[in-house]
Amino acid sequence: MSNKSLFIKSGFVRAPLQNGVGRYVCQLQRIVLKFCKSHGGSRGIRDFIEQDLVDFAKNSPGTVVYLKPRRHRSPVIVAEYLNGDRVWMSVHQKTHSEITKWIENLRTQQGDVAATRLRKYQYTDHPSIQGPWTPFTFKDPELNTAVLPDPKFGANNRLPVSATEKLRLLFEKQKLSDVQTAE
Amino acid sequence: MAFFRRCLPILTREIKNIPLVKHEVHIHRWVAPTLMELKHREIRQGGKKTFPRNTFLEWNLEAELYAFSKRLGEEFDSELLLQAFTDRSYVIKEEMKQTEMDFALKIKDNRELSDKGIKFMEEYVQLYLEAVLPRFPKEGISCIKNHLLSENVLANVCLHLGAKDIILSAEYPVDNSTLANTFKAIVGALYESSSEEKAAHFVRDFVITQLQGQDVNEYWHIEDPWKMLTELIAKTGASIEPRLIGQVGKGTLLACYRVGLYVDKKMLSTGFGETVAIAKEMAAREALKKLFSTEDNMHPINYKLEGMPMTKSQSRQQTMLS
Repeated sequence: MSNKSLFIKSGFVRAPLQNGVGRYVCQLQRIVLKFCKSHGGSRGIRDFIEQDLVDFAKNSPGTVVYLKPRRHRSPVIVAEYLNGDRVWMSVHQKTHSEITKWIENLRTQQGDVAATRLRKYQYTDHPSIQGPWTPFTFKDPELNTAVLPDPKFGANNRLPVSATEKLRLLFEKQKLSDVQTAE
Repeated sequence: MAFFRRCLPILTREIKNIPLVKHEVHIHRWVAPTLMELKHREIRQGGKKTFPRNTFLEWNLEAELYAFSKRLGEEFDSELLLQAFTDRSYVIKEEMKQTEMDFALKIKDNRELSDKGIKFMEEYVQLYLEAVLPRFPKEGISCIKNHLLSENVLANVCLHLGAKDIILSAEYPVDNSTLANTFKAIVGALYESSSEEKAAHFVRDFVITQLQGQDVNEYWHIEDPWKMLTELIAKTGASIEPRLIGQVGKGTLLACYRVGLYVDKKMLSTGFGETVAIAKEMAAREALKKLFSTEDNMHPINYKLEGMPMTKSQSRQQTMLS
């Protein structure tokens, strides 16, 4: 995590209000395009308004589009989402195609996603499927019918091989190979 | 010269260590005190003010209402929708203003619509839950229903449908009770202006889906699961037998007991706990979940039931006929 993202609000990958379980609701509720009618910096957004805005408004009737001409100020897009987020974006000197892509991005995202740091890339309501562990969870079913004490289950095979035992094994292996070479 | 050559590697190492470009962002010394002063002035004037969105220059109530209905894919009667968004507090405020200015203009508030809406929702949610959880008892169903129709859940749904800014209310930001009331009124308005089926689907898609990813057993607290289980089993004529089927670490802090419940020598469920009593209670809870078919691994609730679901008596009659 970089130093910059320390103060960013954190969150998980979630759909707002179980969106899509019932029906899909476009999360962009209104968009305000602020621009200047004469300045060169607003050229791209003026082109967008002239050519694509009517189609955009027709295709997304759930979004309210406001136009706000302001004299001699740089162009800005403000998008407001259903969860209360507000995204402010400067489009100064951006071209028509760039603005089209940015607006498509604003339309399809679910809130101010760029301003949240994802704590994880996945999310679950049920972190465990099989429930909490108990000493009986992975018990060997053979134990149910065994008569205890049983050397099979009572054998102490949990300790690692001791150094003496290792040496003895090595010695016996060597003896075997000696016999083989003699033959 | 030789001395210089000997020193060269040390010198170059030193030069490498001196940072040529500083990555620090320089913030002027006046910034922090100025911000502090501005903050103090703001507090002195009574805190930060949030202006209602509908007082902004870029605001068109008619367009907002149109977009609201289009967003949800519903056909509302525009007058009824506006009435659904009119809170009682707003009407009172407007009437006070009008008496000062000596004229009267009738504004309807949403109380009537919200009564209709909540009545419809109570009925529909009950039917729907009975249809999707057929073996869950009535008390449990009413507990889930109470959760779904509680103020917090409805207010959250209403907020995420974008009603917060449109609501005509005396206060801003609106509180949860106003939001919940508005949601009920919206359902009422939809019921009036569209059809019963449309309103039902609306409630299904936005209210009942709030159960997605939740454990339905958590909304119903069973005081004595063992008593309930024995009563249920006794109705079928069988008897239930608890057996201790495992114990570990007896008499220690980490003791764990496991109890199995058997009906006719067949295992119904198991439960574990730090004492035998707790283990038995957990086993009984597990058994109840099995009987109600709401286990942890239950099939997800069906959120696609069409129209008004049939009542229990209706569906029983149909099965008897077939």
